[in-house]
Amino acid sequence: MEKIKQNAFVKKVGFNRIVLIFVLLLMYLAFGALTGGSFFGFSRIMNTLNYVYFLGFLSLGVTFVIATGGIDFSIGPVMFCCSLVSGYCLTTYGVPMAPSLIMSILIGVLFGVFNGYLVAYWKVPPFIVSMASMNIAKGIAAVFTKTQSVSWPQSTTDDGWYRNFINMNGIPVGLFIFLGISVICAIVLNKTKWGRYILCLGSNEEAVRLSGVNVKKWKMLAYIICGTLVGVASIFFVAAYTTVQPGYGDQYNNEAIAGCVMGGTSMAGGLASISGTVIGVFIISLLQQGILALGFTKEYQYIITGLIVIAAVYSDVSARRRRN
Amino acid sequence: MANKKAFGKLKGREAMVLAIIVAMIALFSILSPTFRTYPTLVSVLDNTYYITLMALGVTFPLITGGVDLSIGTGLVSYALIGGFLIFQKGMPVGVAIAVCIGFGVLIGVFNGVLVAIMDLPPFLATLCTCMITRGLGPALCGGFGVSWPSSISADGGFRKIFKFVTAEGTVIPIGIVFMIILVAIMSFVLDHTRVGRYTIAIGSNKEATRLAGVNIKFYHVLAYVISGLFAGMAGVAYAATYATIYPGAGAGFELDAIGGAIVGGVSASGGVGTILGSFLGVIVICLMKVGLPFIGLQANWQQIFTGIVLIAAVLVDVLKKKKD
Amino acid sequence: MGEIILTMKGIDKSFPGVHALDHVDLEVRKGEVLALMGENGAGKSTLMKVLTGIYKKDSGTITYEGKEVEFKNTREAQDAGIVIVHQELNMLGHLTVAQNLFIGREFKKGIRIDDKKMNEEAAKLFERLNVHIDPTETMSNLTVGKQQMCEIAKAVSFDAKVIIFDEPSAALTESEIEEMFKIIRDLKKKDIAMVYISHRMDEIKVITDRVTVMRDGTYVGTLITEECTKEDIINMMVGRVIYEDPKTESAVPKDAPVVLKVEHLNAGRMVQDVSFELRKGEILGFSGLMGAGRTETARALFGADPKESGDIYINGQKVTINNPQDAVNCGIGYLSEDRKRFGIVVQKTIAENTTMASMKDFMNGIFIDKKKETDVANQYVEALATKTPGVDELVVNLSGGNQQKVVIAKWLTRNSDILIFDEPTRGIDVGAKNEIYKLMNRLVAEGKSIIMISSEMTEILRMSDRIVVMCEGKKTGELDISEAKQETIMNLATREIE
Repeated sequence: MEKIKQNAFVKKVGFNRIVLIFVLLLMYLAFGALTGGSFFGFSRIMNTLNYVYFLGFLSLGVTFVIATGGIDFSIGPVMFCCSLVSGYCLTTYGVPMAPSLIMSILIGVLFGVFNGYLVAYWKVPPFIVSMASMNIAKGIAAVFTKTQSVSWPQSTTDDGWYRNFINMNGIPVGLFIFLGISVICAIVLNKTKWGRYILCLGSNEEAVRLSGVNVKKWKMLAYIICGTLVGVASIFFVAAYTTVQPGYGDQYNNEAIAGCVMGGTSMAGGLASISGTVIGVFIISLLQQGILALGFTKEYQYIITGLIVIAAVYSDVSARRRRN
Repeated sequence: MANKKAFGKLKGREAMVLAIIVAMIALFSILSPTFRTYPTLVSVLDNTYYITLMALGVTFPLITGGVDLSIGTGLVSYALIGGFLIFQKGMPVGVAIAVCIGFGVLIGVFNGVLVAIMDLPPFLATLCTCMITRGLGPALCGGFGVSWPSSISADGGFRKIFKFVTAEGTVIPIGIVFMIILVAIMSFVLDHTRVGRYTIAIGSNKEATRLAGVNIKFYHVLAYVISGLFAGMAGVAYAATYATIYPGAGAGFELDAIGGAIVGGVSASGGVGTILGSFLGVIVICLMKVGLPFIGLQANWQQIFTGIVLIAAVLVDVLKKKKD
Repeated sequence: MGEIILTMKGIDKSFPGVHALDHVDLEVRKGEVLALMGENGAGKSTLMKVLTGIYKKDSGTITYEGKEVEFKNTREAQDAGIVIVHQELNMLGHLTVAQNLFIGREFKKGIRIDDKKMNEEAAKLFERLNVHIDPTETMSNLTVGKQQMCEIAKAVSFDAKVIIFDEPSAALTESEIEEMFKIIRDLKKKDIAMVYISHRMDEIKVITDRVTVMRDGTYVGTLITEECTKEDIINMMVGRVIYEDPKTESAVPKDAPVVLKVEHLNAGRMVQDVSFELRKGEILGFSGLMGAGRTETARALFGADPKESGDIYINGQKVTINNPQDAVNCGIGYLSEDRKRFGIVVQKTIAENTTMASMKDFMNGIFIDKKKETDVANQYVEALATKTPGVDELVVNLSGGNQQKVVIAKWLTRNSDILIFDEPTRGIDVGAKNEIYKLMNRLVAEGKSIIMISSEMTEILRMSDRIVVMCEGKKTGELDISEAKQETIMNLATREIE
């Protein structure tokens, strides 16, 4: 019987992360070459990082959900709902900045509770909950802001300090925060009871239930963690891009899932890698920048992302089939 | 699971949905005198065409226990391509219609292969195709909005399938006849042909169907091809009822179609569903879409309500299953 | 009875570690009903699976209608006229009866399926068999009994010449069994040969012509139903020499306290008014045939499945158990019979599986104390002699016996005092089996109490201090080991002759 190898660094993850890092570097060099070197500029790096931050938090969040064997593709629209609603309160109702930021996160948490409750306690199929949530989020945002876009304050204003989350006098604070929270996520997933239960119930829910664990509670928790991270993502989105428009957000669903699945997290549940997700997010962000740099429009980004996810999930599916 | 016949040929669930439709029309008519006018009726029907077509098609993947999330962005994409061919390439409308539907079928085959042959989870596979089609349309057409020929132009004849404007300017929505014919045809396919029979069988017990010697791969793929075909047709309907088609639209259309199907009795777990049910369910969704503004709720409330209705419909099914 | 239509000779079939069929013979004649009997694991199902092409035989011949055959799959067997009516029905619940009968071979008028003709043909079929089922009824609305009759009708519609019934009456009511017997008698008149796999003595007596008995994968013999008694059959089923010494008397003192008392447990058809006691340091064997309701009783007790009523007392105190959490908190551990699906989290390590039920004891603040986890896991690996390079090994890489040890370690880590072993040595080789037995004895010596559900007679007789016997959801008997004999147990496990 073939033993399932377990190299310390590769540890149970489908895709070898070393391979991924190579892919990342290769891509970077390829784009650089194709653009005659202009790809290596400072502003390009900044743009990529801006994309990494919010997408990264979305990806981290959805990693927890996929670890339970579920899915959440409402994350993009929910992120927008968070920044639209709290931004509207900020600009129109005069709510101060700090509470607005907290509200952003809380809206994400609320959606996480909603999604998690329906999936864990009522056994509604995750894809239906996602579909419903996605549209409810879009609807709430549009109704709240009367279908208008919302612009968050510029860095030069009094309230502009929130932009320091991204960078402060040239220091990429955002990167530290993102990596820091990634480390926390990795610790939670791999070293705490929460993470242990989430991963195990994703692998074999009934065995965990028969061991006396309240699986419903922990499944719902995964969705709440996701919602919280989506709320955080919304802050980084507006800090980078200022203006949010209702009705959008869908593309980020796929990209977040792409980053997650590429990094080795299995759609079947039970196997998840935070570091893989982080690398995956960098790859997706770089890809996006590269496509733009080469003069293609974002439509090509959609197509390529879609194909990447298909490839990543298929390799996971066939790896599982071979193992059985 | 009750399949009892209520009024003559109407099953219990369908009768209930019909009652809901009547109740909704009554409610809106009472609350808003402007609702019960002829232009409103026409406007309601205008919306039903493309959504009904989507719902008729997506009923098939849903009955197999899967889903097709690519129909929304898909139909807009196909319509874009068709319109592009007319205006940028000077092709006749007939060719555009054929290409529009043809693309739908093509993507349907792609979806079928992903789900039935490569064994990818349906929601993820079609979520990816959703992204791919979202990019495909604009990528092929340069990213601009297009309009198909207007009704007064020489080529505008195709619009007459849906709306016939008499010399005096009265609008006759003959599209409704077209819909009823399609409902009849697809009901026949689902209830009385092997295609429909095996689709239900696959959703009911895939393994037993395979053991009975049925070529399940073929019929499983076919379910998605049907969905794609109708998405293509929906693209034509969409182009015929709206003036301009913008790229980037379409996200969320599938909620209306899938929501309608589920309200009408299609089960998310497969094996159950009727074409008439999906049609009636779609009418409920469209009534909500058009009716809500008349009672003072702007259009975006519809998204929220549709999401809630979808979850409520699924919960009803979950509760019923628990009772059995 | 007519001429011989089917002969299986010298059939041999092995699986890794298990010699399932050892030169088995079978002979069936036209128009006869041949009973095929034996304990769980005797090889009856395996033999039929070899016949219908689900398994490939290692050696031996199958002669059908005078020609040697080997079917590659059930469809081939079906087309040739050999059909099994399964215990687990393979049906399409959402379609109608007629649609189920003719799935894959529908009558067509052009592209239109002729449902009307299908309904007529189905009605005709049912009339021929004297069955009262509406062909237009949705399959899932029928009772299990009627669904079974549809399966039988389907078999007949394939022009079957040999029909195999696999535990056909398990889910039927008395009147449904009568209807089924009428059908069988009818089929006999039509010269159809039938193999009737069942453990129900009274039915065997009523409907079969001959009885073939298997035991431990071998062919024991064939008797003529009319001329034999229930005792004769039971002797053939269990008449083995037990090489390992069975326990002769209970190791539990007469005054041992009652640690678990179950009263009037009810959970559907499989658990009907079951009451029993478990004393400290005792191994209580639960014996019975497949479908007796033992696993269902254990699961209801453990809170894994909902129950309708029943009182549970632990150490004299009444407790409420509505879910596995409650049971685990009361000190009960359950090792399910399907280890891979319900016992271990397959893609995780030994260490992680060991602490799964006791996580709160391994916390260091909010972090998991991985060192403590590894230490404890190692302790149990050593104590239970689990063969593994290390506790970081994924449990999926362990053999069945070692996987079982990990599950045991999980409950020992939790300090569960009451352990329910459901088929503890299923799928485990002989060497590991003995280790598990030694372990169980050590556990009760240390003061734990064990309920052991087992379908292996030798295991029951070797390990139990007392034995509870169940049959079709009811407790039919309770024996002290000193008075237990294979025959008595089998007697209680099979239905009484009225």
